[in-house]
Formats: sequence, structure tokens, C-alpha cells
Amino acid sequence: MNEDLLCIEQFLNGEEKGFEVLVKKYQDRALNIVYSIIGQDRESEDIVQEVFLKIYHNLKGFKRKSQFSTWLYRIIVNTVYDFLRKRKNLEGVSDDSLKETIATYPCPKDVLLMKEREAIIQKALKSVPLKYRTAVVLKDIEGLSYIEISRALRCSIGTVESRIYRARQFLREELIRLGGVI
Amino acid sequence: MKECIKVKRLLSSYLDKETNITDTTIARLHLESCSFCKEELLRFSQVKDSILKKKRRALPEDYMLCRLQVELINEQLREKKISWLANMGNLSRRLIPVPVTVIVLSLIFLILSSMQQTSRYPLEEHILSGTQTTTETALGVILGAQN
Repeated sequence: MNEDLLCIEQFLNGEEKGFEVLVKKYQDRALNIVYSIIGQDRESEDIVQEVFLKIYHNLKGFKRKSQFSTWLYRIIVNTVYDFLRKRKNLEGVSDDSLKETIATYPCPKDVLLMKEREAIIQKALKSVPLKYRTAVVLKDIEGLSYIEISRALRCSIGTVESRIYRARQFLREELIRLGGVI
Repeated sequence: MKECIKVKRLLSSYLDKETNITDTTIARLHLESCSFCKEELLRFSQVKDSILKKKRRALPEDYMLCRLQVELINEQLREKKISWLANMGNLSRRLIPVPVTVIVLSLIFLILSSMQQTSRYPLEEHILSGTQTTTETALGVILGAQN
């Protein structure tokens, strides 16, 4: 039995500690996935909180057919999609993050360049259609294999392959357009 | 050229080492001889690198746990509130207006009686001042004062 399943058992037997271990283990991963997809700090934390609340309430219903992490990724993706649907902002691109970053970090030159570069990458990511973006984030930010992504997104490996390919094409064009990351 | 189109589709998964043995061999052999596809692969790998180099965010260890604890307490309080209302039977919910009505009526009574008291003083002053008044009113005030 792996570590996650032990924690789940512990939690289901009434020990909150098991859940705490899961939160500590996965909170940063969840945050990075959410942030890379939506690009907003505060909202990302709220979404991560919502994800773990869903897990807390539904852990009893977790069928151990798949890994806990696959289930978690599915919840993360669904919660992000719900959030974006509510915002009616599915493919929206905002310049705010870029402007904000450039305006609020006027200190040392290399820090500014780094922040600017970060903002450009995030902006490029936001320009990628949501389905492609989700796939490429799970691949390159989270480092999942195609098969894991296909399980998390409930689609075929071929679809994952094509979404990642498309995402990278979009990213390449956008990064060139935004200037000089490539 | 035909092979280029085929290999181009494979490049992204080739880069991720997710192609099967046949496709890997096709891609590798083609890349050895095609500079255009090699260039394409390089661009894909630059895109991948730029995402890989993206700064990772990290939360303080107990930050999310604290947030969750607060939220769970709030949820429990909300549930208690709802269950308190739900536990109240139909009869009790119907009886709520009774004390409210009693309180409102008593308030109205208090206000009216205090208004009556204040309206008596000008009359008494009027009688004491010695000016003429109707017998009924004067008698009423005097009897009231005697009681």
C-alpha cells in the first residue's frame, strides 16, 4: 500500500493527521497547476482551498482503482474549469499581470528581467486555449506522463499528444510575438 | 516532404520521450538528414524549457491547513444554524409571531399612555390659571387629581 493510501485509511479511521499529510504533500503542486492555468495568485489559493475541501468531504467516495494523485488532478482541473466558467473568462487574456509585474518591480535589473520573463511566459500560457493549456501544464509543470494526463483528463493518449503539440505551437508563436523568450 | 509532415507531428511527443519504438526510430532517422525538422525540434525544446524554468510557487507548510481549518469551522457553524432552524417544528415556527406581536402591542400601549399623560398637564395648568373652561372637563381633571 502506498503512502497516500495509508493517509487516506488513517483519515477514514478518524485521524485528521492523514488528511494533513496529504495537504502538505500536494498543496504546492496543486497551486502551481492552478496558477499556471489561471495566472492569478489570490484566486489560485482560493481554488486550491476549494480542491482540498472537496477532497475532505469526498474522500470516503474515493475508489482506489486509480491513484490518489490522478483523482486529485481531476478535481483540480474540474474546479479550475468551474471557476473559469463562473468568471465567463474561458479563453480571456489579460495584460494586467504583465503590466503589474513591470510596474511593481523597478529594483535591480536582473530581478526585473526575471520577473518580466516570468510574466511573459505566464501571458503566453494564458493565450493558449484552455484544453491545450491544461494538458501542457500537467506535462511540463507537473511532469506527468501522457498516460497519467489521459487519466486525469479522461481522454485518449492520442488526444493528449495532440493537445500538447498544439499548445506548444501556440506557445512558440506567442513567445516569439511577446519578444525574445525564445 | 511527406515524411517531414509526418515527423513534425511526432516531434512534441518525441521530445517528451513518449513515442513508441517505431515512431522514435522514424523520427531519429529523419532528423539526422532533415535540418528543417531539426530546427523545429529545437524550437519545441526551447518552448518546453521556458515552461520548465518557470518559477514554482510554494506555500508556507501550514498555510493551507490553517485556511482549511477556518473554513471547516465556518462550515460547521453554518450547518448548526441551518439544523437549528430545521429542528424547529412547524408549530414553533408558527408560534414565533406571537411573542413578536405581544412585544409590538406593549410598545404601542406604552407610547400611547405616555402621550396621554403629557396631554393632561396643559389642561391642569389651564384650570389653575383661572380662565374659564367647560364644567365637564374641569370636573374630570379635579376628580382625577383627587383619585
